[in-house]
Amino acid sequence: MAHVSQRPVGEPGNLTAAGLLVPATIFVAIGLMVPIAILFRYSLNAFVPGKLMVDALTVANYVKFFTDPFYLQVLWRTVRVAVACTFFCLIFGFPLAYVLARTQSRYKNLLVMAIVLPLFVGNAVRAAGWMVAFGSKGFVNATLMGMGVISTPIEIMYTETAVVIGIIAVNMPFMVLTLQSVIEGIDRNVEEAAFSLGAPPMTMAMRVLFPLALPGILAGVILTFILAMNAYATPVLLGGPKFQTMGPLVFSTFAQQNNWPFGGAVSFVLMTVTLILTIASTLLIRRRYA
Amino acid sequence: MASLTLDGLTKSYGDVAVVKSVSLEVRDGEFLVLLGPSGCGKTTTLRMIAGFVPPSGGSIRIGDQDITRLPPWKRNAGLVFQSYALFPHMTVAQNVAFGLEMRKATRSEVGPRVAEALRLVRLDGYGERYPRQLSGGQQQRVALARALVIRPDVLLLDEPLSNLDAKLRLQVRLEIRALQQQTGLTTVMVTHDQEEALTMADRLVVMSDGAVRQVGTQSDLYERPADLFVADFVGRSTMIAGTVTDPGAFRSDGGLVLTCPAAAQLGPATLALRPERLTLGPAARGLDNHVPGTVSFVSYLGAMLDVHVRLNGTDHVVVQIPNKADGLAPAVGDTIEVGWPASACLVFPRETA
Ligand SMILES: Nc1ncnc2c1ncn2[C@@H]1O[C@H](COP(=O)(O)OP(=O)(O)OP(=O)(O)O)[C@@H](O)[C@H]1O
Ligand SMILES: [Mg+2]
Repeated sequence: MAHVSQRPVGEPGNLTAAGLLVPATIFVAIGLMVPIAILFRYSLNAFVPGKLMVDALTVANYVKFFTDPFYLQVLWRTVRVAVACTFFCLIFGFPLAYVLARTQSRYKNLLVMAIVLPLFVGNAVRAAGWMVAFGSKGFVNATLMGMGVISTPIEIMYTETAVVIGIIAVNMPFMVLTLQSVIEGIDRNVEEAAFSLGAPPMTMAMRVLFPLALPGILAGVILTFILAMNAYATPVLLGGPKFQTMGPLVFSTFAQQNNWPFGGAVSFVLMTVTLILTIASTLLIRRRYA
Repeated sequence: MASLTLDGLTKSYGDVAVVKSVSLEVRDGEFLVLLGPSGCGKTTTLRMIAGFVPPSGGSIRIGDQDITRLPPWKRNAGLVFQSYALFPHMTVAQNVAFGLEMRKATRSEVGPRVAEALRLVRLDGYGERYPRQLSGGQQQRVALARALVIRPDVLLLDEPLSNLDAKLRLQVRLEIRALQQQTGLTTVMVTHDQEEALTMADRLVVMSDGAVRQVGTQSDLYERPADLFVADFVGRSTMIAGTVTDPGAFRSDGGLVLTCPAAAQLGPATLALRPERLTLGPAARGLDNHVPGTVSFVSYLGAMLDVHVRLNGTDHVVVQIPNKADGLAPAVGDTIEVGWPASACLVFPRETA
């Protein structure tokens, strides 16, 4: 009798599954790990004006970042804005996601489209639109002044508030869609069980809904926090030249000052702080609800 | 613990009335079963009692308190869902303790009461497990313990057994019934399984199409069905169409002349016969009605045999006889006598369209 060797899928020696992972692995390696490694190496180099970059092994760039109040200010502002944006995305996004997940309306798909629609407009285009709408000579101020409600234009643009609102608007769809998919997976009867056992809505939410939605809350918080930390177009266009955050700082250090070593260091600080805060918030949320 | 009263309870979605003016009185400590075909509005009725569906009309009272407008968390109703709906992130003990915590029970009170509830459903020692680590039957019992521990005014069960396998279902329904009697809880259960309904209930409510057809005990429904629907839905009946021509005389469309109870209303009617009330063979001759027929089909049910007998071109009846292994079982094609007393005839006026 002919002996045919058959190995169940997924057993060691079956290379199909591993084979399928190869392209993605190569892509991540070449597209992400290699540049980051090079960047890190650059951040340890020295910068000599005129010569751009000189091979070295020094932490001077990091020392410069952490001793200059200007850079610390930029980092603190970035973190502050990102935390605020993430917080507001979560507390405004959760009710929206809940309604979206639980609605029986036949217009549900339209609602989802309405949430996703803003993503079709790029950040830069949207921010430019807001400049037109909210600038001191913009549509809103012109209308209000025309109606005599105000006499001098109100300063909406180029404030931290403008940037925070701008980033919230950009990040909200990510938060809402992440939460929605998780809430949809929660059995509606479980909520009703809590009600019938005597839990009013807020208690039900704290004791049942949030703990069960935890994976979605974590994913949404991580996603929007990372996006907010690295925002570029929104702070540049809505914050104006004096409102520096880390994303634009990385770019200007590389492209305008041609200071690659320091740019590398700034990038690394941004990445590390984002990572640490993400892990910290994950642990915090887990501790709170699990 | 208290009585539960539904008064003209109605629910419409748009123009469609799914529950039509249901009025019921569930007595203190009574086990009432809502029985009816799929889609007749049983769950909707139960969810109105629990507070999840706002009624379009009518009122709900527990004792003499009107709870029609109270939100679910202010009604003291223990609800057991078909899917159990245990909190997956809590242990069995935490699940059971939840309702007590909502009632601000002290810590020293919660522990013993949770333990007692778990003992009641024979799950002591399972407190630290998570629901996913339990079998379906065990999850069902946790759901029951969770609903019982709050000492609800009414216990509401929506098809609590439908996710269990057939063997377990027989066992659990006796357990639920025993628990209910032990705790004396006023209970409303919904099911479309009539055997389940008959074994568990003190009284039954047969619903169809959103309306109550009949309320009564098992024998009320079986011996004295209020209408053809109940006669057909509770137990089995074979129907013979015809006319009540004189008091106590029924003429079938196929030409049979039969004796029926004298009270039957004159005019077009349907005569329903319970298969086990019919007699086959020579013994049939002594009965009020006896008709010769031909066996057209025999179905083997184990303990029983269903014998289908054709009486003429139009009429046929099903007769259920015990499966005695005496070799005398009728065979297809046999000519045989069928008989039944007048009292076995359930006669209902034909609903004229
Ligand atoms: N939210 C709703 N909107 C519109 N119609 C509904 C809604 N909920 C239920 N119905 C309708 O009400 C009727 C009764 O539903 P219900 O769930 O009470 O039936 P049921 O007796 O419990 O049936 P089953 O035995 O299948 O569970 C059905 O025809 C159903 O389609
Ligand atoms: Mg139902």
